[in-house]
Order: sequence, then C-alpha cells, then structure tokens
Amino acid sequence: MNFIFDYISVSTFWTIVLIVHALLAVATLGALTHQAVSVALPVRRVVGADGFLTRFRAVYGAGYATAVCVLWVVTFLLGGWIYTKYRISIRIPLERIGYWKTLGAFEMKEHVAALGLGLLPAYWYFWKNPKYPAYDSVRTAVTLLLAAMCWFAFLVGHVLNNARGFG
Amino acid sequence: MAVAGREVDTQDKSARSLATSPAFGTFAIVFAIAAPIIYVASEVAGWPLFTYHPATNRIDLGWGAPRPNEGPAMYWYGWVATMVIGASLLGIVAARWPRLSARIPLFLIWLLPLLALPVLAYGLMPFWTR
Repeated sequence: MNFIFDYISVSTFWTIVLIVHALLAVATLGALTHQAVSVALPVRRVVGADGFLTRFRAVYGAGYATAVCVLWVVTFLLGGWIYTKYRISIRIPLERIGYWKTLGAFEMKEHVAALGLGLLPAYWYFWKNPKYPAYDSVRTAVTLLLAAMCWFAFLVGHVLNNARGFG
Repeated sequence: MAVAGREVDTQDKSARSLATSPAFGTFAIVFAIAAPIIYVASEVAGWPLFTYHPATNRIDLGWGAPRPNEGPAMYWYGWVATMVIGASLLGIVAARWPRLSARIPLFLIWLLPLLALPVLAYGLMPFWTR
C-alpha cells in the first residue's frame, strides 16, 4: 500500500478516498430520495403531460432496494476506513480550535450510519415483497427513515469537510 | 452473452428465493429490532467488541482506555461489531421459527432507531455543552 505514496502525497490519497466516499453517498442519497418520494407521494394517475416532479416520484421503488443496500454498505465501509485517519488528522486540530458542535454532529452521523446499517436486511426484504399488504406501512416508514438518515449523514459530512478536509 | 445471461438469471433466482423465504424474513425483522437495542446498550454500557487505537494500530479486546502517548482510542468499530454479531446471532436463532415474524409488531423496526437517537445524542453531551 505504501508504494502509492511514492506517487501522491498522503493528504492527496485521503482526499481521493474521501471524494469516492462522497460520490457513493450522493448515489445512495439520490436512490433513497427517489424511493422515499415514490412511497410518500405516489403517482396514482397521470393526467396530461407528466412534468419533472411527476417523473421524479414515478420511479419503480423496488428496483432501487438492492442498489441502496450495496451502496450503503460500501459507503459505510469506506467511511469507516476514512474515520481512522479523521480521528487523528481532522478531529484533533478541530478540537484545538473549539469546533465541538461540529465534531459532535459528526459523531452523531457515525451513530446514524450504524443504525441505518441495522435496518438494511428488513428494508430489502420489505421491498422484495411489494405485494404483501402487511408490509406496506413499515416499508414506507423504513424507507423514509433511511432517506432522512442519509440526508443527515451527507449534510454533516459535507459541513465537516468544509470545516477541515484532508488537503 | 449466454454465460452472462445465465449468471444474471442465477443471481435473480437466488435473490428471489431469499426474498420469498419466511426464514430470511424473520431473520431480517429480528435483526432490525435487535440492532438498535444492542448498539445503544453497547454504547451506553461500554461494551465495544474491541477498541482501536488509530495512532498505533493497536486493537484491544473489549473496552480499552486511551494509552499515554499513544493517541486516542476509538470505540465505534467495536460498537458496530457488537451490533452486527449480536443482531445476526439473534436473527439466526429466530429464523428457526419462520412464523415468529407474524407475531412481532413491525412498527418496532422504525420506532427503535428513532428512540435510539436521543439516547445517543445525550451520550455526546460533552460536545454540545462545551
């Protein structure tokens, strides 16, 4: 692994890893937002020409379930790897300048990501059984909760990167 | 093309069989209910499976205090490991009774993570009040 640092600096390497993590988070966020809107505001009947909002919520939600699970796990694992470097290179300098609430929000984001991980098997199972009416309300609730968790994690990560990145 | 098509077909069949398996359904529901309980208990009671010291790459089994001149200790990985292993074990045991899932109130799946949030936020009080 150390051979990489013959070509790029340590901070460049971690910046690249962080950008990949952020791009995966964007993909997860997009998929979950589409799915959440499709269950919260389902398109029942299209009258006339369908606009952007109608098309946005008219997605086939079940088709996103496996992708969301894979994206969440891969983003989680990559984030977990970055967390080791963050603890030394980012958090300690931010503690010195008193960014306590930003750091607290980031620790909360780690909790939220872990709780989201625990929901994934049930979330996948409910989406793969769309014709079982007993799962309709719990499928909607779990999807909305995962989408909210993803938005929170994404925004907190973005703010923290603004406060101090690896560069 | 034929090989690729066969691979996709096989993957679809395995996904379908998992999705239609009552045993997996019970596993998934019990896992989702147990995970936030175990995670919060692990965080509040200090039961990480292991402690990671990032400055030295040292791993201690269970909870380990930060060592002098060795930087901070990280417990989050240990909490996640406790959650995943604990919830998986409970889910595997529950999957032996596939009809069990019909008796479990499904609202617990989304309610328990929501209830966990204020508890976990309270645990971060030093960050909010400093």
